[in-house]
Amino acid sequence: MFFHIVLERNMQLHPRHFGRNLREHIISKLMKDVEGTCSGRHGFVVAITSVENIGKGLIRDGTGFVTFPVKYQCVVFRPFKGEILEAVVSMVNKMGFFAEAGPVQIFVSNHLIPDDMEFQSGDMPNYTTSDGSVKIQKDSEVRLKIIGTRVDATEIDKNISQSRPKWDPAGSHPSRFFCIGTIKDDFLGVINDPTTI
Amino acid sequence: MSLATDSPVNSSSSDDLAAFLDAELDSNSLGSSPEKEAEDKDEDEESIDEEAENEEARDDKDLERIKRRKTQIVETIQERPGPTSLGNLEEKTEVSLGTDNCPHPGSLGGMCYRCGKRLEEESGVTFSYICKGLRLGNDEIDRLRNTDMKHLLRHRKLYLILDLDHTLLNSTLLLHLTPEEDYLKSQADSLQDVSKGSLFMLAFMNMMTKLRPFVHTFLKEASEMFEMYIYTMGDRPYALEMAKLLDPSREYFNARVISRDDGTQRHQKGLDVVLGQESAVLILDDTENAWTKHRDNLILMERYHFFASSCRQFGYHCQSLSQLRSDESELEGALASVLKVLKRIHNIFFDELANDLAGRDVRQVLKMVRGEVLKGCKLVFSHVFPTKFPADTHYLWKMAEQLGATCSIELDPSVTHVVSTDARTEKSRWAAKEAKFLVDPRWIETANFLWQRQPEENFPVQQTKPEENFHAKQMKDQ
Repeated sequence: MFFHIVLERNMQLHPRHFGRNLREHIISKLMKDVEGTCSGRHGFVVAITSVENIGKGLIRDGTGFVTFPVKYQCVVFRPFKGEILEAVVSMVNKMGFFAEAGPVQIFVSNHLIPDDMEFQSGDMPNYTTSDGSVKIQKDSEVRLKIIGTRVDATEIDKNISQSRPKWDPAGSHPSRFFCIGTIKDDFLGVINDPTTI
Repeated sequence: MSLATDSPVNSSSSDDLAAFLDAELDSNSLGSSPEKEAEDKDEDEESIDEEAENEEARDDKDLERIKRRKTQIVETIQERPGPTSLGNLEEKTEVSLGTDNCPHPGSLGGMCYRCGKRLEEESGVTFSYICKGLRLGNDEIDRLRNTDMKHLLRHRKLYLILDLDHTLLNSTLLLHLTPEEDYLKSQADSLQDVSKGSLFMLAFMNMMTKLRPFVHTFLKEASEMFEMYIYTMGDRPYALEMAKLLDPSREYFNARVISRDDGTQRHQKGLDVVLGQESAVLILDDTENAWTKHRDNLILMERYHFFASSCRQFGYHCQSLSQLRSDESELEGALASVLKVLKRIHNIFFDELANDLAGRDVRQVLKMVRGEVLKGCKLVFSHVFPTKFPADTHYLWKMAEQLGATCSIELDPSVTHVVSTDARTEKSRWAAKEAKFLVDPRWIETANFLWQRQPEENFPVQQTKPEENFHAKQMKDQ
């Protein structure tokens, strides 16, 4: 689900940026650092909508760097247990299928796929009802319910880790959300058949 | 949209939106006002009774948050350092969800994929080669084995597990190439179209790989009778690269590539990571020791030594195939003979066995086919075993018996063959006198590999005992 929340972050700035464009520098650095990252608590930061307040800068002892506490508003995306979402199927195998809703990956096991759908292997593995009316294959859109979520500290995206200074404590470790979903309830399942479009 | 629906799975969980945001209110790390605003905004959308949950939820959420923080720092989510009281509180919130009835057939990423509950103990077997992070419980594995078995039998297929090194191909590190083998570097086939080639240079892995002659035809024909797996003692990246060379269009193996990272035991291969019934699995491997628990399913293959490094690895001091600029025979080599055997076994299993499909066992068929190779032969050994060695425990004796021959210690008129390494022993001379076959022990071993009784005149006993080995024999047979 998407949220519009206020977050705070300490931005560290090199003295070369001090001058007329200080505020612009801070904001552009903030956007570069934060947009596209994910934290376990807030989820994925999709976009920064506005900067509320940039506090007074504090000079770090020993170096010339200055820390500015920045409060900003942003749109975040975080999956929750019990939430219903639409996702696009990315892979189908006999254990179930994987679907993606933006940056979140969801696995729906065959236990939670309605019993009348059977797995068909082949070139395009898919799950089909006995009369062939409904088919789940790669690139189908499905509506599913999330029944479990997990934050995974996964492989660090090299671009992000290099731009963020190591001491930055508010910077969360890059992570990924992984969820288990179901389509066995009412109103869940395929909403868009890729072959008919 | 309300998160707190009627279904018990979704009630007051630790991921519940409002309770979670509620905790943010009480957190002192980032200041309360921004969270309050956010919470107010969302409260308009949510209609959840937070008051009751507030008190106890607060503690839980703090703990949950601490847990999440630690989770992000630690690579896997399994460990939760902290006092055990934390663990108990966590369990309490989970238990109220009504997920107790779920048998937890398996988990992906630490969560049961049936009810979504986080699983603390790891039971069952890991199947990383199917999906990363997949674990299946034993009941689920049995259920899957049964359904898969029925499916395959309907399509008249059995399971075939193939080893890579020295069975289907031979790999060497580039730095192990001898100067005489340098000519190979210029002869390597293109990596763009691997379906026709057999010698590949994989510079990014510092390796060269030679596929065994006949392997493409073998895979094509075997895939019509078997569902095939690759099971190698190499690591995962190596296994996947080799699968790409053997099966570029992913039609033979697909995801069924098992490497040593997927096995449950360190130096052993096992059928526990294979989703197929043991009574329908055949294994092709050159190493018997890797399959100690499943010897009955194993078809032992003759090792393929193309590169000099491979010969040296096994202690042979002869010239390898690459140094001699030759190769194993395509139509009469090991793969071709094994294919004939596999076809025969497949035929017998599906067409000739009397009982119903579920009761048949491919191991019985294998035993039966093997027992026909040397049927009718009675063997006596001479100068083969060390003195005072219990003869019937020797591997040659056992091999001969598996091949259908009868073995005996004493000479008598029903003996048909004398197996000896020295033509001057008493028993050897008796054989010559009585016009019985006098053969070298390699006659038995070759029959084992080629699944056929070999002409005895090809295995004369030497007068003196030279340093012979399989490789030279391979050359002779061509």
